Amino acid sequence: MSVSSKLAWRYLIGRPGRTALTTLAIVFGVSLIFGLNGMLPGIIQTFQRAMLASAGQVDLAVTSSSGGTFEPGIVDRVARIDGVAAVSPSIRRSVSMPSDSALSNITLVGIEPRTAVRVHDFSLESGRMLNAGDTGDVVLGADTASDLEVGIGGSFAIPTVSGLRQMTVVGLLTAGATVGNPEVYVTLPDAQRMLGAQGRVSAVEARFVPGADRARVEAVVRRELGSDYTVGGLSNESSLLATLKVGQFAISMFGIFALVMGGFIILNTFRTLVSERRHDIGMLRAIGAERRTILGIFLIQSLLQGVLGTGIGILTGYGIGVAAAAGYEYMFREILHMDAQVTAQFGPGLWATAILLGIGITVLGAVLPARQAARITPLEALRPQIAEVVERERSMWVSVGWVMLVVCVPLMLLRQPWSVGLGAVFALSGLVMIAPALIKPLAEGMSRIITPVAPATADLASSNVVRQPGRAAATASAILVSLAVVIALVGVLTSTFAGFYEYLDQSLGSDFILLPAGLILGGGNVGVDQNLVDRVAATRGVGPVATLRLGSSRVNGAQLQVVGIDPKEYPKVASFTYSGGTRSTDLGRLGEGRTVLVNGIYAAQNAVAIGDRLTFETPSGRRYYEVAGIASDYLNAKLSTVYISQDNLAEDFGVRTNVLVLANAEPGAAIPTVKAGLARMLRDYPQFVLYDSVSFKKSQVDLINSEMPFLYGLLGIFALPTLLALLNTLAISVLARTREIGMLRAVGTTRRQIRWMVVAEALLLGAVGIVFGVAGGIALGWALVYAMNSTGFVVPYYFPWGGIVTAVIAGFAFALLASVVPARTAAKLDVVTALHWE
Amino acid sequence: MAIVETKGLTKVYGSGDTAVTALDSVDLSVEPGEFVAIMGPSGCGKSTLLNLIGGLDRPTAGSVSIDGTDVSTMSDDHLTELRRRRIGFVFQFFNLIPVLNAAENAGLPLTLDGAKPADADRRARDWLMRVGLEGRTGSRPDQLSGGQQQRVAVARALVAEPALMLCDEPTGNLDSKSSSEIAELLRQASAEWGRAIVMVTHDVGIASHADRIVFMKDGGIVDDVKLDGNRVEQTRAAMEKAGLL
Repeated sequence: MSVSSKLAWRYLIGRPGRTALTTLAIVFGVSLIFGLNGMLPGIIQTFQRAMLASAGQVDLAVTSSSGGTFEPGIVDRVARIDGVAAVSPSIRRSVSMPSDSALSNITLVGIEPRTAVRVHDFSLESGRMLNAGDTGDVVLGADTASDLEVGIGGSFAIPTVSGLRQMTVVGLLTAGATVGNPEVYVTLPDAQRMLGAQGRVSAVEARFVPGADRARVEAVVRRELGSDYTVGGLSNESSLLATLKVGQFAISMFGIFALVMGGFIILNTFRTLVSERRHDIGMLRAIGAERRTILGIFLIQSLLQGVLGTGIGILTGYGIGVAAAAGYEYMFREILHMDAQVTAQFGPGLWATAILLGIGITVLGAVLPARQAARITPLEALRPQIAEVVERERSMWVSVGWVMLVVCVPLMLLRQPWSVGLGAVFALSGLVMIAPALIKPLAEGMSRIITPVAPATADLASSNVVRQPGRAAATASAILVSLAVVIALVGVLTSTFAGFYEYLDQSLGSDFILLPAGLILGGGNVGVDQNLVDRVAATRGVGPVATLRLGSSRVNGAQLQVVGIDPKEYPKVASFTYSGGTRSTDLGRLGEGRTVLVNGIYAAQNAVAIGDRLTFETPSGRRYYEVAGIASDYLNAKLSTVYISQDNLAEDFGVRTNVLVLANAEPGAAIPTVKAGLARMLRDYPQFVLYDSVSFKKSQVDLINSEMPFLYGLLGIFALPTLLALLNTLAISVLARTREIGMLRAVGTTRRQIRWMVVAEALLLGAVGIVFGVAGGIALGWALVYAMNSTGFVVPYYFPWGGIVTAVIAGFAFALLASVVPARTAAKLDVVTALHWE
Repeated sequence: MAIVETKGLTKVYGSGDTAVTALDSVDLSVEPGEFVAIMGPSGCGKSTLLNLIGGLDRPTAGSVSIDGTDVSTMSDDHLTELRRRRIGFVFQFFNLIPVLNAAENAGLPLTLDGAKPADADRRARDWLMRVGLEGRTGSRPDQLSGGQQQRVAVARALVAEPALMLCDEPTGNLDSKSSSEIAELLRQASAEWGRAIVMVTHDVGIASHADRIVFMKDGGIVDDVKLDGNRVEQTRAAMEKAGLL
């Protein structure tokens, strides 16, 4: 072992408390990156699996490129292809089960019994397989039947477009490894009736002749059917997946933020280490240690610290990832009604990223202090140093910082995505750079506030902060980044919720709402046919009624939701939030030929403007629609969505079922009475929940409020580095001034006064950090809200008062908390030992 | 040939009106195995002279030769190597590495020079035994008394078998008994082990262990006395003559 390595190791284990504190900063960042990124791929794959599983265990599945249902005319064309042994059409749909059912979701699969058995391997355990012409009969897995507590001859209810329908079990399949929802088989015509999709299928499945060249047969099928159909499996490019991937990116960014804060803490620690070890450095240089040996000691120590922190961070992150995956699995089951298995995954890329970032930032944080240490001449290092010397200010960087702050203002006002992003980076970087110059005036100004509380020690505390502006600035920078993120996030959340409420008022402001059980329109919602809508309209006291219908399509290869509305009826009960110069009168244009309204997210992500012509892939082939305006509704504000007339949806997409019903009461009608009448009528439609506008808004506010503890917990995690930075700096500060504290005690300073001095120092450091954090948070919050608006999810900007209050409280609370141990340590120092401290 | 030779050695700190001449054209020669004490009032230039001889500082004018090699113009790397191999240092505040034990501290110059760990350890233990610390080789500095720590520092200074030892107030932080023991140890290093020693001290009793005392005042040498007979009396007399008592 080289002398550098040996000394680095000994120094590291020689001060376990300091090592632990510094290592915590690394652990925090690495565990965030490793844990959360380990969890997200699992969630994404769960979605992909859930979708792909619908394709079944067949050699080939043909689906519509639009994602919707289609007429099964292609069956014969596929069957004629050389190499195809059997072909069978099917329709499948995820269905939310009634609340009293043992299962939250099932996949209802309609099959043609005669051909399906030639394509699928059904392994019957008991009973019989379905026969052509069966109605009301189901075959399902033995394990599913056991969950539902039914056997052969037993029955259970499934929601259909015409209400609940009792189905009789005629056969049980051997339980196998299935991914996603349990499958329940019925005959194709039965399923088509239940789903309101008469004459339509969602897939044509095929089995190849044994020994066929699979790739060749697939290619021939693809060529034969053209681009209107997807061959091989279902699409996995959903908007939800895109949202999840954005989430993954955001989490990575926060992990890196946390590590950068860790970097500041490391920088501080190593600066102090260099200061503390001046005599050691001087002696080593005097007896012949080269500069690179000194450099090596500090860099190797940082490397060891990085390895230690990264190792523990990965272990902690592993735990976080596994726990979070389990939490999400629970959420999928309970909220999204998906039977999913979410497994945390820690791939080689994630390991490499965590290791590189964890160790890299630690070593990077130590480079500057290490270079300073190597540059010290032996004579300088050996000179007696009674106390810490006052540092020189680094005027050049301070000037650069001021320039960046000045430049960030016009950049942000330019309101271009690139300029706003760059402006936010300039604002944060500029604040970090000017921090050393502002430490003195800020600390001295704030010490006047503390003076009445601790008159004897406020000045001392202030001078302790001021004498090392570099250290104070690094601490303030760590607090800055941490609190700025908190303030910005609270600002974004406030704006987002305000935006949601606005969408809510506009698009779901009707007196009554019949909402799918899951909030996502397409998630397991079988919908209802016109019969129910007519019955709603005929209910006593109900006035105008409007519905939403749902299809899906692809435009330029990107999947999107197609929502069908009646342009005449819809404005009577609801409205959109319009943007891009669109007026409410443009809604009427949906009835004129093939016109479409696109929502903000879709318009922004695909640079779509009013007047553009979009080519939709539909089950009936390609259709061209003209963009009449940009409009968003509450339920679909986060997903790429377009709105067309229900007539066009029926003609081009074959969709005639309603997934959402909105109704207003007649003038003068008593809302509770009308609601009671609707509720009675809806008993057979468990896929819908009936709300009146007041209770619906309340349910939404309650839902958002129920997320608050989680969100504030998350914000607390982001504020945690503030605590670490303060704790580290104060511990270092007390240690470095041990002899000085001994002198203060010797000349009559009481233990209480010493304790107060450290507490006051913590409060001053916290206050300085808060000032910087508030400034940075306002800039970052504005940039984030702007960024969100530029994605098409338009929300109003709210000044983040809540965030500022949260940050001030968190900053001071953490300052007090961080001062407890160092203050006690300082107050308990033995005078004689302290005076002889080396 | 002299192990140390300074010619017209001058050191000026600052410039213009604020210039302070710490050392003014000093000529000094130290022979191999000679034990030289440097005495004088605070600020007379003793430590500056020692730092210049040890290559820790650069002269403003004049030259320093160690073993016939002019060190005043050497590069930093060469000076570092010279200090590692040819010079041993003993400081007032011991300057031991707190996280290393006595043997590891004593063996540092060898370890820094790339010696095999086992060899460095063996030689360090050998020197610790010679300075009377055979039972404490595994102790860390905070487990040793001041006198014991300074013995470790002496062993560290001797372990690389240097021709020259430079000691800056080696007893300044010790009680009188430990001071006397360290002075005796240095005497032994000179007389038995053949090292040339240049020691800065304020203590008459400690200086009297040397072969020769150089008296300094205001940056220059005012007297240079060889000791024999009653060394303490001789030292006092010389100090009186130099106007230091």
